Amino acid sequence: MRPDTLFQRITDYANRADPYPLYAELRENGVTRQTDGGYLVGTYQEIAELLHDPRISSDIGNRTDPDEDILRRPDPPAFIGVDDPEHDRLRRITMRPFGPPHSPGRIDALRADITRITDDLIGSFRDKDRIDVVDDFAYPLPVTVICRLLGVPFEDVPLIRAWTNAIIASFDFAPEKDDRDHQERLRAGMEARIAMAEYLGGLADTRRDRPTDDMLSALVNDAGPDGRLTREELKSTATLLLIAGHETTVNLIANGALTLLRLPQALRLLRDRPELMPNAVEELLRYEPPVHMLPQRTPLTDIEVAGVTIPKGARLILMLASGNRDPLRFKDPDHFDPTREDNQHFGFGSGVHNCFGAPLARVEAQIALSALVPHLAGLRPAEDPPPYRRSALLRGPRHLVIERA
Amino acid sequence: MQIVVDLNRCQSYAQCAFLAPQVFELHGEEALMYTPAVPDDQGERVRRAAAACPVQAILVGERAGARVR
Repeated sequence: MRPDTLFQRITDYANRADPYPLYAELRENGVTRQTDGGYLVGTYQEIAELLHDPRISSDIGNRTDPDEDILRRPDPPAFIGVDDPEHDRLRRITMRPFGPPHSPGRIDALRADITRITDDLIGSFRDKDRIDVVDDFAYPLPVTVICRLLGVPFEDVPLIRAWTNAIIASFDFAPEKDDRDHQERLRAGMEARIAMAEYLGGLADTRRDRPTDDMLSALVNDAGPDGRLTREELKSTATLLLIAGHETTVNLIANGALTLLRLPQALRLLRDRPELMPNAVEELLRYEPPVHMLPQRTPLTDIEVAGVTIPKGARLILMLASGNRDPLRFKDPDHFDPTREDNQHFGFGSGVHNCFGAPLARVEAQIALSALVPHLAGLRPAEDPPPYRRSALLRGPRHLVIERA
Repeated sequence: MQIVVDLNRCQSYAQCAFLAPQVFELHGEEALMYTPAVPDDQGERVRRAAAACPVQAILVGERAGARVR
């Protein structure tokens, strides 16, 4: 891959703070083939159609040239990397203890807990001079909630954090396949994945026949019409739920705080009209989404997208965050408008693979940002842009230190 | 508060059934049942559900026949 391909520039860490001009370039160029054979799609209409197209696979095994390191993974892929009908079966079994139709009140019942955890966190930093919105707030809230929901002991959070960081770092896109740092990240990520899956499998074993009120207990004990997950399926599913269940929400909350610190008018609007927060969170999911792309799709047959034929088995990368800023779909797309209507964003993807945890993320972000709003007036980021995390895929600040303006 | 769900738009993402489970209910995997006249204590949840609907199928009005918001 030449170092100046668009995808190369998008994934270049130097552009992490503001990838949006590159997305505008991508939409302008249309569907573009990268020199490594991958295809980038960044326009709303095309992304929407592809997300609903049954000829598009999420199973990396259907790629002509799959990344070998992903195929070497020891565990079966979780439903995020599987197609229907298997995807549907795994997802339905996993949904049983999480949401409707079997457990309709589960997320609503968490609201009180989430509010209390949020208030405790805000109380603990009220008197501090220096607040890091990531470490002091955006991280501890979702990790506490997902541990409680799954049934992971809170004292193990440091382990979870180390494993998660290693796994996310291994999602990175390297300029050269033989890049030594990249190889090392892949190795560390694989090790962390194995360790986390083993840990969660062991934890589920201890709940078999001794259930506590959490999802691991339910998944290992309760069988619905589709039966139970196998132990291997449970391990990879629980790993997915644990990582995706907090990592993305950390970025959503941190991106939200940064957006409001940068836009005093929006902050004032939400302070005066707190009932706008659900809309504001949807707008945030459009404007600064935690997941910028779906890099793992592939066509099962040659398909035509906006006049370009994408061959069967090619790597297809859907740039969700670019579709969210497409002026053909959204009026004034670079403007953050908490009152925006007709906001069918790709913040949670779309189609059969749409985010499993979306309702939980919504509740957490709404409660967290509502609690933060009254405290943000007169504050500003100590650095703007703040230091970002490495990942171009799961994008958000590494730290967000705030100080008196 | 009165609500109408455009069932031609609804694609069973079920966000409403998570966010306002006393008003929106899934029967089986896909059939949505809902209470058109929203009880007073559920109004806030219904507004959150309407904002979250990925296909914007939930119309909220203050009373039946009123112009929807």
